[in-house]
Amino acid sequence: MADAAFEGRTLVKVFGELRAVGGITVAVQRGEIYGLVGPSGAGKTTLIRMLCGLTTPTSGEARLLGHLMPKERRAVEDRFGYMPQERAVYRDLSVGENLLFFGRIYGMSRPAVARRTRELLTLMRLADRAKQLSAHLSGGEKQRLSLACTLIHEPDALLLDEPTIGLDPALRLEFWDHFRTLAATGRTLLVSTHYVHEAERCGRVGLVQRGRLAAEGAPPDLKAWASTASGGPVSDMEDVFLILCRSEGGLR
Amino acid sequence: MKANRVLTVAERVLRQLAHDRRVLVYMLLIPGVAMILFGYSFSGDITGIRTAFIDEDNTDLTASILENLEKDDAFRVTVLPPGEDPEQLLLKGGYQAVIRIPDKFTSLYYAHFAMGVATTAQGTIDLCVDESDPQIASTVAMGLADAIMDLGEGGPVNIETRELYGVEVRFIDSFAPAIMGLVVSLVSTVLTVLSIVREKVDGTFSRVWVSPVRRSEFILGYVVAFGLIALVQSIVVLSIGKLVFDIVINGSIVWAFVSVILFAVGSVGLGTLLSALARTESQAIVSFPLVVLPSVLLSGMMWPIQAIPAVLRPLSYIVPLTYSNRLLRAVMVKGLAPWEEPVGLAGVLVFVVLTIVLASLVLRQSAQEAG
Ligand SMILES: Nc1ncnc2c1ncn2[C@@H]1O[C@H](COP(=O)(O)OP(=O)(O)OP(=O)(O)O)[C@@H](O)[C@H]1O
Ligand SMILES: [Mg+2]
Repeated sequence: MADAAFEGRTLVKVFGELRAVGGITVAVQRGEIYGLVGPSGAGKTTLIRMLCGLTTPTSGEARLLGHLMPKERRAVEDRFGYMPQERAVYRDLSVGENLLFFGRIYGMSRPAVARRTRELLTLMRLADRAKQLSAHLSGGEKQRLSLACTLIHEPDALLLDEPTIGLDPALRLEFWDHFRTLAATGRTLLVSTHYVHEAERCGRVGLVQRGRLAAEGAPPDLKAWASTASGGPVSDMEDVFLILCRSEGGLR
Repeated sequence: MKANRVLTVAERVLRQLAHDRRVLVYMLLIPGVAMILFGYSFSGDITGIRTAFIDEDNTDLTASILENLEKDDAFRVTVLPPGEDPEQLLLKGGYQAVIRIPDKFTSLYYAHFAMGVATTAQGTIDLCVDESDPQIASTVAMGLADAIMDLGEGGPVNIETRELYGVEVRFIDSFAPAIMGLVVSLVSTVLTVLSIVREKVDGTFSRVWVSPVRRSEFILGYVVAFGLIALVQSIVVLSIGKLVFDIVINGSIVWAFVSVILFAVGSVGLGTLLSALARTESQAIVSFPLVVLPSVLLSGMMWPIQAIPAVLRPLSYIVPLTYSNRLLRAVMVKGLAPWEEPVGLAGVLVFVVLTIVLASLVLRQSAQEAG
């Protein structure tokens, strides 16, 4: 799997007594959109943080664009973007200043940041908000700014932790269209989500449960698997998810 | 290390502060208010000591002693008729000092001159003073000695005073450097802690951590931002010192600024260290008295370190402000170059290196915890 953008090999993360991630092996190919779904507390965030070098695995190996994380993270530091689950923007900076900061630390020139800011703010429907203090943005607006901050330096690989939470359905659709566009230009996306039907839009989906990858595959395959498991027809990912939760993991 | 990224972090910190007008106002207000409050309440001059004056001799000479005492702000003189018992006045009458000039004082005083130094005959003034407050007692003794000296007759007491480091160093002159160090270090430490803790809580720290910004660049960014702020605050302190208190600055202003900025750098390091101990902004805030109290009480800012009980004195030597005070006083009051006060300079340098190195280590820890 030399071509994998993200790769985890029997990744384990233990917090005190708690096995937050209990041996996940996963590989996301370049240009792929990979969805992570699973109940709250399943270990999605922990997995993503290990893949981008923010959390050191207790055991196992995390690789990003072929480099061992967090050890070799300097080799890929400007080629990936991470969107934390919390709306990680500076409350006491304006929208434009947030983008300026995150663009500049990636070595972008001021004019380049300005151009990219216009693009992203239009995309995020925040074009008239550049001067507004982020603290005064609505929840969804902050979320959009947060995604813009992740995209500012045009990274090849994206780790997005619940990027669409708090957005209205129309905007969510637009986000996913944009994700598709990004993937079409060769970028790789690892997206965790609570909206299970969003998973339909992913190339492949991993179902995380209790720190393990309970099932993995393209949405049609997962549906087929779920209908076998439940003995009835399964039409959407929501059902797959519920069947999985009921079956207490261990379907692999 | 890229200067660009350091400056980007510094610019961000300054922009954040610029958006928060209240913080900005406080940052400029605190040095001013501190200078004025401390300056007035600790001006070092004791005034208005309740003093009874009993003149049993009643001559021109004793009248001018009274006049001199009344001119001195230290005393609030009440003239009482002869015959009152000084000790009773002190114990029951609410006086802090009683000065009684006995009968024949003037003739004995002049007799002394007539006969030269060989004589034991000498005017004596009876002074009763409340020893329970030694500072008041010594102020009274000194004030009285002054009042007699000022007679201009060259009395029997000959006090020789040597004044080093300037014509007359008042308390406020050596206080301004301490206020400068205190305010600059507090503001740098407190704002650094709050800013980094907020980054951890909000998750922006995770973003910065996965970006190309190095730990050293992150800390240096804060250092540059707060170095600039320290400069502005020092200017406020010095301006108020000059305008309101007419402080004497014997040394070089440039060295003073260099020294205070150096101290601010260490304070940013300390703030970064403290940020690792706090998970929330409230935890950070309640820890501030732990920084403020030792600085104010043990640094030799208000009273000399020699006045601190021996048990506590070792603590004085681990309070960073102790060294900053030595350094800044040497530079501003004595007019020395920083290296001519090696202990102060070394202390501040150790503080800077130690906190910055440790800060860089704890930041790694913070990144793992965050989010
Ligand atoms: N730093 C930490 N210290 C201790 N426990 C942690 C830490 N981070 C996560 N955990 C625990 O690990 C488990 C997995 O957390 P994680 O955030 O990965 O879940 P998640 O799948 O992202 O959940 P959600 O969908 O609610 O975001 C949780 O039980 C959480 O409490
Ligand atoms: Mg999560």
